[in-house]
Amino acid sequence: MLAYNLLDDGPDIVLAAGLRSPWVRAGSAFRYEDAGHLGARVARELIARSGIDPAEIDEVIAGCVGPPHDQANIGRVIALRAGVPQAVPARTVARNCASGIEAVTSAVANIRAGFGTTYLTLGVEVMSAYPLIMGHRLTGFFERLMKARSLGARLKGIASFRPSMLKPRVALLEGLTDPVSGLIMGKTAELVARDFGLTREQCDGFALRSHERALAAQERGRFQAEILPHLPQRARKSAGAVDADDGPRSDQSMERLGRLKPYFDKPDGVVTVGNACGITDGAAALLVTTAERCAELGLKPMARLRSFAWSGCDPARMGLGPVYSSALALDAAGCRLDDIGTVEINEAFAAQVLGCARAFESASWAERHLNRSHAVGELDLARTNVNGGAIALGHPVGATGARLLLTAAHELEVGDHELALATLCIGGGQGGAVVLERVA
Amino acid sequence: MELQGFPLPEDSPEPGACIRIERPEPDLAVLVLAPPHRSLAVLDAPLLRDLDAAVAELENGYQKGVVIAGAEPLKFAAGADIDAIESITAPADLKRICDFVHDLFLRIDKLSGRVVAAIGGPVPGGAFELSLACDYIVAADHPKTRIGLPETMLGILPGWGGCHRLPRRVGLPTAMQAILTGRLYPARQAKKMGLVDRLTHPEYLLRVASDIAMGRETPRRKARGWKGMLVDRNPLMANLIAKKARETVYRKTRGKYPAPLRAIDITAEGPRTSMQQAARKEGDAIAELATGPVCKALLSIFGSSEEAKKLGRDLEGFEPRTFRRAGVLGGGVMGGGIASNLALKGVATRIFDLAPPALDAVLHEHRGDVAKRLKRRRLTKAESLQALDRLDCSRSMDGFSGSQIVIEAVAERLDVKQSVFQQLARQVGSDCILASNTSSLSVTSIAEGVPRPERVVGMHFFNPVKKMPLVEVVRGEQTAHEVALEVAALAVKMGKTPVIVRDVAGFLVNRLLGPYLDEAVRLFIDGAQPKQVDELMLDFGMPMGPFRLLDEVGLDIAEHASESLHQAYGERMIPCTGLEPMRSPDRLGRKTGKGFYVFPKERKARESVAPDLADYQSGSSARRLSDEQIVDRLVLSMVNEASRCLEEDVVAGAKELDLATVFGTGFAPFHGGLLHYADKLGATEVVARLEGIAASEDVAARPGGSAKFEPAALLRENARRNLGFFSA
Repeated sequence: MLAYNLLDDGPDIVLAAGLRSPWVRAGSAFRYEDAGHLGARVARELIARSGIDPAEIDEVIAGCVGPPHDQANIGRVIALRAGVPQAVPARTVARNCASGIEAVTSAVANIRAGFGTTYLTLGVEVMSAYPLIMGHRLTGFFERLMKARSLGARLKGIASFRPSMLKPRVALLEGLTDPVSGLIMGKTAELVARDFGLTREQCDGFALRSHERALAAQERGRFQAEILPHLPQRARKSAGAVDADDGPRSDQSMERLGRLKPYFDKPDGVVTVGNACGITDGAAALLVTTAERCAELGLKPMARLRSFAWSGCDPARMGLGPVYSSALALDAAGCRLDDIGTVEINEAFAAQVLGCARAFESASWAERHLNRSHAVGELDLARTNVNGGAIALGHPVGATGARLLLTAAHELEVGDHELALATLCIGGGQGGAVVLERVA
Repeated sequence: MELQGFPLPEDSPEPGACIRIERPEPDLAVLVLAPPHRSLAVLDAPLLRDLDAAVAELENGYQKGVVIAGAEPLKFAAGADIDAIESITAPADLKRICDFVHDLFLRIDKLSGRVVAAIGGPVPGGAFELSLACDYIVAADHPKTRIGLPETMLGILPGWGGCHRLPRRVGLPTAMQAILTGRLYPARQAKKMGLVDRLTHPEYLLRVASDIAMGRETPRRKARGWKGMLVDRNPLMANLIAKKARETVYRKTRGKYPAPLRAIDITAEGPRTSMQQAARKEGDAIAELATGPVCKALLSIFGSSEEAKKLGRDLEGFEPRTFRRAGVLGGGVMGGGIASNLALKGVATRIFDLAPPALDAVLHEHRGDVAKRLKRRRLTKAESLQALDRLDCSRSMDGFSGSQIVIEAVAERLDVKQSVFQQLARQVGSDCILASNTSSLSVTSIAEGVPRPERVVGMHFFNPVKKMPLVEVVRGEQTAHEVALEVAALAVKMGKTPVIVRDVAGFLVNRLLGPYLDEAVRLFIDGAQPKQVDELMLDFGMPMGPFRLLDEVGLDIAEHASESLHQAYGERMIPCTGLEPMRSPDRLGRKTGKGFYVFPKERKARESVAPDLADYQSGSSARRLSDEQIVDRLVLSMVNEASRCLEEDVVAGAKELDLATVFGTGFAPFHGGLLHYADKLGATEVVARLEGIAASEDVAARPGGSAKFEPAALLRENARRNLGFFSA
């Protein structure tokens, strides 16, 4: 368990500016997009709009779960492609779904350690580009062929081919499976649903509300300030730039959701593709710096960081991670859940968010798992994900954390709140949480 | 043989100073071309003289290997001494020089031991021909390396062995292509085509060349094999290849350029004739071509364009900035073209337009262009990504604060342009140049109300930006000289040729084209056939006839331009109104599919003359004009206006004006430009012809009368003193 209290001595740290690409369903408009290209586009635009000299950046940190195989340190690729000078270092961090927040908290820890003042952080994920992988058997077949020198050996090698060797391993599915518990993420949500007795109707109801809120937010133009329109690579001549998230469905209804079959646990499960987050492409960038530097740069800060926390939990119930980490972050920030004006919690699965809500308000759960006598507090769903969440918008895993912070920071201003909480569950059994504060 | 008649440069050094013979190991001689009077060696009189002496020294001694190298790996030599050749007028002198060089190169070829050329950097023309005389060629694998035979572009041909040594080396088809396109090939491509035998890093160039010279390494050369017999040395095949090449050249040049045709003949016979005979033919051709008018004209244009490319460079106390970040306002055809061009040439560019579809179109166009270059291997994959990253779109006019220059290409309205510049000035640094791509507004007026107006300048590109090589750099009344020079340097970086002009209506090119196009319209109204006039002007050497050009420009744009010229210059520019009945919103030229010509929608289909043109003709006087008279009316109207431009100091001089006519209007390069053409006629003749036109009935009857053809003061003065524009 780690919690960092930023109220203590040390420079105030702010999110000075932020921007993101539209969140686009994998395999659609961003099908041929490249994570380095997309990330750099957003980073470049953030630098241009904020008017900072890129040489003033101390380091670039990118969060990414599955960087393309030719861009292992995608942070560096993005930095250089965004026009950040070669002398500025860059790295890539990963904490599964929280990678986008990890980039920010890494920057914060560095700044607090006296290690630079100005960080360009990103979360980026192009899940469309996740590959199919050749299995061991096919790899072995090619190896034999390459090693064969004589004609006989070559023929023997060719003869060893079996059609079943062509069955690929799907990087996306393997990536979404926790190797320790052996469970794919959807199954961990099923466990949470069973623990708390959550019904299919409850889950579908939550999912429907996510779509309704996201659509309403789009109609209000709520996302305009945070989204950078982007013309995807290899876009058709007739297709224009994408300037809105394409996940929210105006035709979503309980009836339609009800028709879907359980995806992970047939036939009795509650998790369907309708009440789970989508597979998505997107990138978001945030400029993290001290309040002092922010003023020097002539920027109006979006939000001040008050605390953050990371904690571990049962990998088989990773969905409850937000409760663990939020409890710590709230304590560190010196406030209670009631004080929080707006909450952004990642909607990996409706069952998982609803499970968190139950755990937040349960004293017995707190006693058993958090070793405290009272409940963390009541998660008011009316003040949670007011603009919809990942079920409607999508969940580009490495990028989502950055969006939660960006959306929460904007919401402080839009909804006139003092405090905001951004939190998410993390595959492998962790939770992350950040408390943001409005800058007067 | 003697090297007589080849003029020595003024600062030519003592004999022996241009070539150093080094002996880094026993039995190896390295000839280093390092003339003290040049930063990059040129095959001029002193260097050839010293090379002759050095070869003589080697002939008298023994060595196992010889390397011929430049002063540095990426500085070999830059061809023959163009300035000297330009100044030679006697064919016999040129013939003698060619014989001397051929003899010298033949002796290099015959030297004992292996002779290796170690080349790198630009290796054009004569420098490459020297390499061809060696047994092996090693080239530095570097982006600066460019190898080829560009002679035909200058109205001559590869006359120092290129026409017969190259086809022997790489075969007839490749040699023909290299000689006729005059392209300078990058190292990799040169290796692939067989122009060179081996590539290596610049750092290893000398070592590898020495290894080859000493026999420690033998590069494999792709043998032509049976192709050599069946293609290169087979008269039937050679004639067929020559015939095809001749057809292509004719289609492109209408036979106005003798050099490529001569080059085809000599190259086709190259592999079949003896070295001595081929050398003699090349010498004869050079002697004739280099002293002919076309070569002189092309060399003069080449000289002025090289000079234009130096604008703003090598000036004491002034260093133009390196442009890395630029902004473009307006995502139309011009703005998009400019932005894409900047991005391709290494400048990170941000383009603004309010309309998202316009921005999408800009990106599509840019990406398409980058993809094409990637496919043609003009760019590597990594370079193509950088080129893509360098162009960003913005739907709002912010984020330009880091720009070093912002070029606006928004609507042609003074208030709009003034307001965007004033808005922008609040955002950008005080030293950010504000350039306008206006074609019809005054740069001085645009600068009004802009803080620090000395940084406001005109940067007039032509459509399509990708293809048109000229940029008019317009100095407003308040524009700082340094700003004009920096913008000129940026134009050069963009691969364009800049001409600095004063801020007068129409600037230079459109001011000259105005009377020309107006005259064409008048001829049409008076009964001339557009097709016939266009053909006449194509024969004259224009790339496009005036009516086809009007369709390209757009009838509405042309009208707008001639109206503003009229306002500025008064009665001599009163526009012809006869076209009004023909002009309608769906008949504005190419963009609407119909003007003087009808443009079919299908790709690659050719345009045809509109069938109803006769309905809009009201006179018949033009039908009585001879072809010469028609050409005179069109061309001399430009000459007359050009003369006024010189009087008013619109450009620095006649050289710059000619450059602008060739690069901006495509004016026949073989004439050397508009004023060279006028000089060829002679001022007296020009004045007489102008007076003749002015006196003709139909001209006198026009509104504005014969003002247009009243000879300009400078022309009259020249005629009186028997001077030309270039001999004044």
